[in-house]
Amino acid sequence: MSKFLKALSLGTLIATLPLLAATAHAGDAQKGEKVFKKCAACHAVGEGAKNKVGPELNDVFGRTAGSLGDYKYSKAMIEAGNGGLVWDEATLTTYLTKPRDMVKGTKMAFAGLKKQDDLENVIAYLATYSSAAAPADQQGAAEPAAEEAAAGETETASADTSAAAHAAPVSETRDGGVLGLGRVATDDEVAAWNIDIRPDGTGLPEGSGTVAEGEVLFTDNCAVCHGDFGEGVGRWPVLAGGQDTLTEERPEKTIGSYWPYLSTVYDYVRRAMPYGNARSLSDDDVYALTAYLLYLNDLVDDEDFELSKDNFLEIRLPNEENFIADTRAEEPHYAAKAEPCMSNCKDSAVEITMRARILDVTPGSVDDDDASGMGSVD
Amino acid sequence: MTDKTISKVPGLSRRSLLKAGFAAGAVAGTAGAARAAGDPLITEIQDWNRYLGDGVQSRPYGMPSEFEADVVRRDVEWLTASTESSVNFTPLHDLDGIITPNGLCFERHHGGIAEINPADHRLMINGLVDTPLVFTMEDLKRFPRENRVYFLECAANSGMEWRGSQLNGCQYTHGMVHCVMYTGVPLKLILEEAGLKTNAKWVMPEGADASAMTRSIPMEKALDDCLVAFKMNGEALRPEQGYPLRLVVPGWEGNMWVKWLRRIEVGDEPWHQREETSKYTDLLENGKARRFTWVMDPKSVITSPSPQAPISHGKGPMVISGVAWSGNGRIKRVDVSLDGGRNWKTARLDGPSLSKAMHRFYLDIDWDGSDMLIQSRAMDEHGFFQPTKNELRAARGENSIYHNNGIQTWYVKADGMVENVEVS
Ligand code: HEC
Ligand code: HEC
Repeated sequence: MSKFLKALSLGTLIATLPLLAATAHAGDAQKGEKVFKKCAACHAVGEGAKNKVGPELNDVFGRTAGSLGDYKYSKAMIEAGNGGLVWDEATLTTYLTKPRDMVKGTKMAFAGLKKQDDLENVIAYLATYSSAAAPADQQGAAEPAAEEAAAGETETASADTSAAAHAAPVSETRDGGVLGLGRVATDDEVAAWNIDIRPDGTGLPEGSGTVAEGEVLFTDNCAVCHGDFGEGVGRWPVLAGGQDTLTEERPEKTIGSYWPYLSTVYDYVRRAMPYGNARSLSDDDVYALTAYLLYLNDLVDDEDFELSKDNFLEIRLPNEENFIADTRAEEPHYAAKAEPCMSNCKDSAVEITMRARILDVTPGSVDDDDASGMGSVD
Repeated sequence: MTDKTISKVPGLSRRSLLKAGFAAGAVAGTAGAARAAGDPLITEIQDWNRYLGDGVQSRPYGMPSEFEADVVRRDVEWLTASTESSVNFTPLHDLDGIITPNGLCFERHHGGIAEINPADHRLMINGLVDTPLVFTMEDLKRFPRENRVYFLECAANSGMEWRGSQLNGCQYTHGMVHCVMYTGVPLKLILEEAGLKTNAKWVMPEGADASAMTRSIPMEKALDDCLVAFKMNGEALRPEQGYPLRLVVPGWEGNMWVKWLRRIEVGDEPWHQREETSKYTDLLENGKARRFTWVMDPKSVITSPSPQAPISHGKGPMVISGVAWSGNGRIKRVDVSLDGGRNWKTARLDGPSLSKAMHRFYLDIDWDGSDMLIQSRAMDEHGFFQPTKNELRAARGENSIYHNNGIQTWYVKADGMVENVEVS
């Protein structure tokens, strides 16, 4: 960019700043796209968006709450819509701050956005996929071209500064080590990331939680996907049941039927759940949820049961003994290491015993609309 | 060929369709007439021969020709509840050689693609080390580094085929594999920088993504050939493949090659994380489950002809092409059968033969135009042969999900169309 152009657009930028500040539409849609990642586990928006765990969010501005015909809302959301709740900037702000405070009984398992900026930005982002969001836009549309130019320039300007702020720390050497590369990790840094737990209890934090507490947390944060009883909604993972199915044709592998160690439940829920909002649970919450998962799997039967660091190792999962080492090398086809047959290896002509076409579950095949095959990737 | 049959074969490449159409109709009719006057593509001057094309810099990052638009990764929607924890597949049927282009390497994520500015990325080494350390990307690029070509296969590749043939196309049945050249620092050097304690027996890599992926790896492997890689095929890792940093665990199941690698803990025992207990354990018929089944067994598949790459010409000379790989080392031999496993011929391996990398094989045949049941069978340098699917089922049952390296059969029909089948 020439100096002249740069000066010109910087000028426009400065001239437009007060205008931008004056508009009600303070959100930055581009930043909102990032915030939307918090929603993306459950919602899609944009071309071809389909319902996921939550309804698709195209044209959500002006939509009566709970009104999409092809999505199954909670009773609470439908009632809110019947009561006149229509989504706009104001109602979305309230809902997304604390969903359950606004619509008691909503099945949206999302704690809410805490930062004002995030709220404004994600709403601005949703507005770009809503034709009815125009009124809000028009307030700031006095100088649309200038605003756009300014927005563009702000973007590059901030990209420049953030690049500077993001410049990688200079790589220095230290005493010790072989090459002297890297720096010593602080105790706090190690503690922040080192949250793994082993079956012998190494890594378990202080804390405790009861089945009853876990039930509330589970209903609020987990049941949308895993079902109220851990039975799994649709294709979301099943977390309970399946005992004595491991030798059946369709084994159901759950914490109760398959997992060898309880430590894995605590470790995994703390590091990766709820899906799309990881690391949001307190250590006590995770004890409570782990206790509740034991309860759902009939491994404890008392709602007052409290799981804590102290009694954690007393609990053993029933399938622990059924894990064995890798014995593939002993299988006949490998153990023999024999030179395989090269000619006349089968007595009679070879027959086809199964054809993929029968099932027709390959994507793109003529009638795969509702086709759903067997098996899984994990 | 009707639209219906076209859509019957997903990902069928447009080029082979064009060629197939040409073979069926055009050659007999119009091409005959054209022979007298000559092919207009030759006798008439074409636009691209007269007018200038785009200049340099019109494509600062070059992309494939518009005529290759159907060479893409594909997924199977019914498999998973959400695309952020899902998988798509490498279009093996459209590729040749042994290197997978970066944009076509299959994806498997457990919490979506983490987008990380390399300036914000850190690698921590902690646990049973003399000095817990933190490295920036800049620090890592000051270590001596190596270039190595390795295949990466998901343990669940072909996992949908345990109960019988199900998906029509080697992209879907075998596409959870890719092979690229990595540039990276031997993990050994990074561990030595922190100093291993004498009781250090295991390492646990951890990802920075929303699943914070973790796996336990025994120290012998960590010190043997693992790499901490930042480049693939010469350029930065793709975000889908763990940009800016991933672990490379040659020959072992793909799930262990932790992407967005941010931490390596050193310990004296395995951690039994979710991905090595609930998942990536192989349930046998008797209800027992194998764990720590790390190595990927010898495996091969014919990529052409295959359901998405039917034969587009009549009888006569043709190339049967495929890939083979083994987590134990080099591929020594690949045999091909045209009659469902009664008789076998040894195929020709072509291109570099590198340990724990993909190998390309060809069998050049004179097709008589009749039905074929084609199979390939790989053997690695340690003498391990690829078993049949029925041998695997006899040893393990049908509920293992993982490590299905059984011999694949394609049914090639006289019209050149190909189907995934199983045989007696
Ligand atoms: C864990 C899943 C989940 C997450 C995360 C989530 N939602 Fe929702 N959302 C839902 C569900 C489920 C509903 C339906 C609620 C009901 O029926 O009570 C919903 C409903 C909504 C609605 C009402 C739509 C309508 O048709 O009435 C809006 C708007 C909305 N969500 C926006 C968001 C935004 C914005 C975010 C991110 C900041 C977000 N949600 C995060 C699951 C989620
Ligand atoms: C938006 C949907 C969603 C929500 C909400 C959710 N999960 Fe999950 N959960 C998943 C998915 C998807 C996976 C599998 C992730 C993967 O593929 O790695 C999973 C996996 C699990 C597993 C491992 C299952 C197995 O068999 O390996 C456990 C345990 C679990 N979740 C517990 C919870 C708990 C506890 C909560 C609430 C705090 C929760 N989840 C909330 C979607 C969800």
